[in-house]
This record gives sequence, C-alpha cells and structure tokens, in this order.
Amino acid sequence: MSARERVLERVRSACQERERTEHPGAFESRDAGADPASRLTTLATMLEAAGAEVVRVDGMVEAGKWVRRFANDFESVSVGVTVPSQLRPTISTKGSHEAALGLSMARAAIAETGSLLMDARDGRRTQLLVPTHVVFVYQADVHPTFRGALSSVRADLPSAIGLHSGPSKSADIAQTLVTGVHGPGRLIVVLVA
Amino acid sequence: MSGHGTPNRYRQQATHTIRDEPYVRESVLSGTDRANDHRNHAYAEIDADRWRDWGRDAKTHTLTNLDRYLEEAERNLEANGVRVHWAETAADALTVLRGIVREHDVRSVVKAKSMLTEELGVNEHLERLNVRVRETDLGEYIVQIMGEPPSHIVAPVMHLSLDDCRQIFQQVLGTPRHGTPEELVAAARKALRQEFLAADLGISGGNFLVAETGTVALIENEGNIRLSTSLPRVHVAFVGIEKLIPRFEDLAGFIQLTARAATGQPIGNYVSFIQGPKKDDEVDGPEEVHVVLVDNGRTTLLADEAAWEALRCVRCGACLNICPVYRQTGGHAYGWTYSGPIGAIIAPGILGLEEALPLPFASSLCGACADVCPVRIPIPELLLHWRERAVEEGLTPLTERVGLEAYTRAATHPLLFRAGGTLLRRTPWQLGGTALPILKGWTQERTTPEPSPKSFQALWKEGIE
Ligand code: SF4
Repeated sequence: MSARERVLERVRSACQERERTEHPGAFESRDAGADPASRLTTLATMLEAAGAEVVRVDGMVEAGKWVRRFANDFESVSVGVTVPSQLRPTISTKGSHEAALGLSMARAAIAETGSLLMDARDGRRTQLLVPTHVVFVYQADVHPTFRGALSSVRADLPSAIGLHSGPSKSADIAQTLVTGVHGPGRLIVVLVA
Repeated sequence: MSGHGTPNRYRQQATHTIRDEPYVRESVLSGTDRANDHRNHAYAEIDADRWRDWGRDAKTHTLTNLDRYLEEAERNLEANGVRVHWAETAADALTVLRGIVREHDVRSVVKAKSMLTEELGVNEHLERLNVRVRETDLGEYIVQIMGEPPSHIVAPVMHLSLDDCRQIFQQVLGTPRHGTPEELVAAARKALRQEFLAADLGISGGNFLVAETGTVALIENEGNIRLSTSLPRVHVAFVGIEKLIPRFEDLAGFIQLTARAATGQPIGNYVSFIQGPKKDDEVDGPEEVHVVLVDNGRTTLLADEAAWEALRCVRCGACLNICPVYRQTGGHAYGWTYSGPIGAIIAPGILGLEEALPLPFASSLCGACADVCPVRIPIPELLLHWRERAVEEGLTPLTERVGLEAYTRAATHPLLFRAGGTLLRRTPWQLGGTALPILKGWTQERTTPEPSPKSFQALWKEGIE
C-alpha cells in the first residue's frame, strides 16, 4: 500500500466512526456598501488605513494624464501586461527588478477588506519587485464583499492571484511597524471611473 | 541557547527562561498585550460570535468529510498541473523533497514562513543535502541566523527586544549598533532580494487548501511568500491534511477570521491563491508546482474521540497570546514547534503522548483560550482529555501532576500563588513536608547553583501583579 492509500484509509475509518455534519452555508459578512458610491468610500478608507494612497480619476483620459505626470518623478518603469496603452507613461521601461516604478492593472477590488485582486496574467514580478507600485482598478470592478469577488473570478482562475491590501509591512522587530519589507513600500491605488 | 529543548523538559526550560532570561518575559508580555488589544478591537468590529460559529461549523464539516475532500483536492490539483505527493511521516515528506532537489539540481532555496516545515525539519534536511536555505520572513530570518526555532507560531521573534535584533543585524549585515527598525529592515530587504532572484526553489506551507479548485491559500504581510512562490522555477508547498476547506468562496470567511484573530487586521496585507504552475498566457511564475499532503500524526488526532476537534486550528496564535502560562515564558520553554495551548493539545497526536508530557498539564485551565479561538476549539476540555489519558496509561506520577497544576494555577491567580506554600502544606497529597515541592523539583536537575525558591516566587509575583 502506498502512503496515499494508508493515509486515506485512516482518514476514511475516522470519518466512518463519526457523524458527518453539513456545511454551514455561504459565509455572510457585513454589508460593505450595496451602492457603488459607499463601496468606493469603504475601499478607499480601508486601503488608506493600511497605509496605501488612493487617487480617484474620472475616466481613462484623466487616468492617462495623472500617470504621465506622476511617472515624471521616476527614472524608469515596469508595466503590467494588461495595462491599457492609454495608461502607459513615456519614461523608459526597465525589468521589474530594476525599475523604480511599477504599474499594474487589478482584475477587481474588494471593499470589505480593502483589497486589490491581482491576476498572474498581468505579471507577478511587476506586482512585487518594484519599490513604488501603482495599481489601476476600474470602479465598476469593485465588489462589496470578499465572497462576491471570489465567486466572480472562480470560473476563470490564473496560476496565481494575489490580494494586495497595502504596502509591504512587518512588525516582527520589536513590534514596530515598518513598511517596504520585501514587496513595494509604497502602494498607490488609482480608482478609474 | 534557548529553544532546543523537548516537551519532557518543560519544567526545567520554563524555569530557565523565567530565572535566567527575564527580558524574554518582558518582550513576550508586551508583544502578547499588543496582539490581544488588536484582536479584541478586530473582533468588536464584526459579529464575532456568528463568524466563529461559521468557522467552527465549516471546519467540522470538512473534517467529518475529510476523506472525500482530500480526494477532490487531489483531483483538482492534478487537473491544474500540480504534482501531488502524500507523506505519512516527516521522513516521507523529506524524501519527497530530496527527490525534487535532486531532479532539479537545486542549490539554493528561499523559504516562506511555515510552521509545518519547522515540524518536519525541512531546513536541517536541506542543509544535510548541501542546499543553501534562506528563511525570508523577517522574524524567521532572525531566528535562522540565531540558530533558534521561532517562539510563536505567528510572530517568530516575539521573545526578542529591539536591542537583540540590532545586535544580530550588526553582526550579520553590518547595520549601525543603534540602527532603527527601518534601517534593519532596509538591510534585510537588500540582502534577501538577491536570494529571491537567485533561488532555484521556493518552499511554502499553506494556510488553506481548497478542495473545489485545488487552491493553496497563504496569508502574510511582508510579500516574501508571494516572492518565494512566484520567482523560483519550482515551488513546493507542504500542507497538513487538516488544512482542507471545501469551496473557493469559503476562503472569504477563513481568511478574514484568521487575520482578525492573529493580528487584528481585516485581512493579511498579501494573500496568495495558488492554482498551479505558470500558464501559457502568463509571463512569469514557477514552471513546476508540487503539493505535499502531510499526515505526520494528524490521522491519530482525527481518530481520537475528543482530540480531533483540535484539527480545526487555523494557527492564528490567539490562544498563545491570551494564555497566562505562555505569557510568562514565551514559546521556547515548550520544547517543540507548536507552543502554548494549541501545542499542548496536538503534541500527543503528533509526537505521541509520552513524548508530549507534561505539556497538557502546563495550563491553568482558565478557559481564556477557548474564548478567543476563531474556530471554537474546546481547548481546556482537550487538555483535560489528555491529562486523563496520561493518568490512565500510568504515564505521569502524581507528584508531577500536582506540582504542575499548582504551578499553572499560580500563574493565573497571584493570590493563590502568594499563599502557595501554605496551601500546598495543607493539601492531603502533601509531599514530604516541602513548602513548594514544585520549585524544588524544577531546580533539582540544574547543575548551576540553585536560587532560593523565594526569589523565584518573587519573580512570579512581580510579573503577575
Ligand atoms: S487553537 Fe484556536 S486560537 Fe489557538 S492557534 Fe488554533 S485557531 Fe488560533
């Protein structure tokens, strides 16, 4: 018998000894804003509380202007695969491990937890290696609850999803909060209407 | 050096920490105070009772149907292109790892924080194979440099002060003697970044494994887990068989509940959902992903009429933070990977009851742990269960039981402790006229000069009031 069979056999016999219980049903949490406006406010408040910066722009044209202005202070940029061309700045591009700035497109956002849902298809390295990370998210892709966001992506899962809810941080050393440990030390979220 | 003990020497190890390393207690008290504040605040923001009921019921459902969920997870992992391995014991798990190391000619490994890999002895094994292994969680990095195990399942260096960390970083990374936490972190970021970029293999644990989608879910704050599971060519996740959850949507409940219980955050700063190796339409990510499903005593717990409930544990550390006994010593006194109340109730399953003693006695049964547990594990009942079992099997002498119970009661009840001598003298199971038999017992095996029981008592008193 293989290790698999032996482990499964013991699990089976333990399960047979005990009454099988039902799943309690879907996890119901607080309502984090049923209407789109309060959803955005919750998302922004949560992100800011976790140390991120939030910018709201009115459409793609304004988003493009904002990012070109913002990127001017940086030497080089690494841009995620799914970032639309209107949102690409004109400064020189570099590999994600050298670039001063990274731009990514979030697939969705979660108001309840203040999180951006980052899809591996946009490129993981840009999401992780740059010191300053700008993430665009369409306001229409903001879900009120975590569960709702999960069910919206469940049918089309990439190799990895990362939920980013603030700049990289640690309180390991003497319980003092420090940002920029391994991931980006600065996270700027651009909510595009 | 602390931290390399065994559960059997708990009394000696606890005495050593309290008497010879008073600063440990100071760090642990302040760290756990903070964690308790954060959790209380985070629980107050939600309907915590209802969330915890849901957590308990969803895990109980999974465990009572674990046979079918394990098979479902295996099917979906394989459909995602993940290579699944089963490990009955720690030795099996290490054999799987050795195979992967050989197959890919692995020279260097980056590791994301994982208590299961501590339990299995993954680092020592890799070192024996001449593989360079680097812990990348800041706390784990520090204990790895010190050659110690972590002292807390969530905060590995809760026992260290800022000055301890400064000294270590000065030696290893050349940071200033009075460097700020920011300076230390910046130096570690730089050093570890090179390791991430160069590593052949990334190793992680798994907070949850979703049967329905074959998703390995991981929670963290630093980004080192995302990096360890994204940059190297190969990723191996070691996952305990009790980590299963049924549905992808269930992650919403478990991740929020775990984060709130562990650190008081609404969610970990980074959460990874890993479905498998890099797909054709993706530009990066590992080419190969392995999941090692580990038993190592978990089926012994599952078969136990009472202790199976301990398998609901999400390893949030809340029961450590609130435990008056843990708070006196930190984790190293317990002498193995999982300290505090949760460690005491799973040790008999993973190590065997005799090896685990006297940990189930190292508690005052005050019940605080059960009040904070996000999945409502009846920890005090399970401690009693193992105590009864130890007595039934004749594994523990009466003097030991009485002494430990007196010690642990004292940790929670300062008045009782001050009166301890008198109380013990009056009890029917009087032990040869010694005022504080436990203290005598605890110091007997030491070779260094013994302190007077009074000074030990004074230490306790100071700390408890
Ligand atoms: S037993 Fe409960 S409180 Fe303790 S670590 Fe596990 S889940 Fe957290």
